[in-house]
Amino acid sequence: MSLFLGQILPYIAAVVFISGVTWRIWRWMIPRIVHNITLSPFPGSWSKAIVWILWQFATFWNLLKFDRPLWLGAWFMHIALFLMLGGHVMAFYTVGLQFHVMAPGIITAEMSLAMSDWIGTILGLIFLVALLYLLGRRLANEQVRAISSSSDYLHLFLLIGIATVGNIMRLFPEYHLGYAPVREYLAGLFLFNPVPLPDHSLFLIKYTLVMILMIIFPFSKLMHSFGFFWERWIVNRPYTEPARGLPGARLQLHK
Amino acid sequence: MSANELRQPKRASAALFKKLGMDLVPDNEKVAAAIGHIDDFRLKVRSFVMAMETCVKCGACAEACHTYLGTRDPNNIPAGRVDLIRKVYKRYFTVQGQLFPGLVGAQDLDLETIEKWYSYFYQCSECRRCAHVCPFGIDTAEVTFIARQILYWLGIAPQLHTATADAILRTGNHMGLTKAGIIDTLEFLSEEIEEEYDGLKVDFPVDKPDSDILYVPSSADFMLNPRTLFGAGQFFKYVGANWTISSEITEAGNFGYLSDQTRIQREMVTRLLAEAKKYGCKKIVWGECGHGWRAAKMYVPTLADLVAVKQIPITHIHDEVEAYIKAGLLELDPKRNDSKITLHDPCNYARACGHADNMRTIMNAVVPKGAFVEMTPNREANFCCGGGSGILFDDPGMYQFRIEASNKKAEQVRETGAEILCAPCSICKAQLYPMVKEHKLPVEVFGLIDLVGHALVFRE
Repeated sequence: MSLFLGQILPYIAAVVFISGVTWRIWRWMIPRIVHNITLSPFPGSWSKAIVWILWQFATFWNLLKFDRPLWLGAWFMHIALFLMLGGHVMAFYTVGLQFHVMAPGIITAEMSLAMSDWIGTILGLIFLVALLYLLGRRLANEQVRAISSSSDYLHLFLLIGIATVGNIMRLFPEYHLGYAPVREYLAGLFLFNPVPLPDHSLFLIKYTLVMILMIIFPFSKLMHSFGFFWERWIVNRPYTEPARGLPGARLQLHK
Repeated sequence: MSANELRQPKRASAALFKKLGMDLVPDNEKVAAAIGHIDDFRLKVRSFVMAMETCVKCGACAEACHTYLGTRDPNNIPAGRVDLIRKVYKRYFTVQGQLFPGLVGAQDLDLETIEKWYSYFYQCSECRRCAHVCPFGIDTAEVTFIARQILYWLGIAPQLHTATADAILRTGNHMGLTKAGIIDTLEFLSEEIEEEYDGLKVDFPVDKPDSDILYVPSSADFMLNPRTLFGAGQFFKYVGANWTISSEITEAGNFGYLSDQTRIQREMVTRLLAEAKKYGCKKIVWGECGHGWRAAKMYVPTLADLVAVKQIPITHIHDEVEAYIKAGLLELDPKRNDSKITLHDPCNYARACGHADNMRTIMNAVVPKGAFVEMTPNREANFCCGGGSGILFDDPGMYQFRIEASNKKAEQVRETGAEILCAPCSICKAQLYPMVKEHKLPVEVFGLIDLVGHALVFRE
């Protein structure tokens, strides 16, 4: 079992995730953008369009403007998720010294470890609270409930499960697992040089849930993270107005 | 829910479809045919695929849709409306829908669902307010276009849209106006102008060879909104344009765009460019019509079969009036439009064609300071009149729907306390006349060019 979870499933999950996402995007690229259906006011150039798209991406501007209660849950959930994903990569790679590595003259190794702990813990809590808020909204808001399917709830449950286990490991020292043993295990995976899984049941649960998430990701609405750019690419594109003025008229714009 | 409980517009008969060269698809073949069409579209139209695959069901679009606000029917939530097709799309074209249909909300297609399409995709006005509000920019109108096209191919379309398609093929306009009728009406309008504006002589040239400008008015202006034609004629007279109207394409709208984009919409584009070439026009200027202007401005370049489009620029009469106002070339007397006035931003102008600014430039030039009051929300966030995409049905159930769908608009207008509601779009006008009546609003409806013509000061 631990051979399967530790040495086989991770590769399956990685392959399914990467090839699945690639396949989905490949399929999006087959149909054409037939007509220019950009939303006005039009950006004057591609660089302006890209700035607008990134602004939407970073701030969830439309939700902020049109649905503030949803923005509150959605933006905090996503921002916590992004920072934590980055945090996981950095912290496991540098064994918690990421801030020290980034600013060695200012931040000592101990400070970096403390920061990693504190920031990670706070983000983890924000993430969980925001997820619960979004679940509550989906259940309480009649309109949202009307358009939801079982999978919409299951995605939330899965994320809530991951967040809960993660928070328990953070908050209760007896369930804590340091960076070093995980790093060692992951290094083994990446270098195809198997290292046994850390013997830690909560880690095992969380790790398995994450692999499940990776496997369902390409076959679910979670693809919206990429879909955002493909959709915005269609509806936020430059348009140039034709010149004004009536040829042959007695009154001309330019004298 | 059975089909007869659904709110549906009166259908075109088999005979009418036959006139358009189409046979109705028999019931037992409809499902397979529809799935085949979805399969084609998913390989051709990216905006459709992204709408199918990106939605997270956050529900931000619900309160953004005037149809949902008016009916409170979950199938009128934009995400719910699209789901009528998305469920089917998932079932046949996604891994998760094939393996776990119940879990992901995928469904086999059946005739009942097709009947629901006919109901709900003709309650969508393709106003794109949901696209404006959606965090991803998912454009429900793209799905509505495709749903309506598939229904049309199955032989399911409203009498209104199909009869209009027939009129387009016969005459090149929605109202079925003949050349004699067009000339007759325009001569009458010339006389009216002469009478009302102290002998001002405005000619409306029809099919005049060697014209520089082809003006494309909405055919509804000939019957319902003559003042919009007044305004255009007065403007062209003022600037001394060498212009004409073509009797073969006396139509700024494009009902093909609203039901059959493959044939009827294309037919109008082909006519337009052929006529512009025929009279040697160097520019095409569009009249007041929202969806038609979008179809011209954004679709002609990609839909045209003729090389002509690369040579003949197309602008809107508002664009030209705005440019002349900015250049200080028009003498306008705002006092002639001295009433409290509000502006309804037609959806296609505001969200698809970038007209929010030019309409305001014109408005501020033709009404006295302080007379213009904005409604809330406005510009790109404005609500549809409730009749967008030609859902101007007169059968009792659908008429009632139109009035419900305009609840939000009526509320917006009432809050401004305006006496004049300026709505520079033929469909808006056609929808707002009954809305004003049913909601008992103390306003008169006009176009924007109407006000320009009225304010122009002629000194000769």
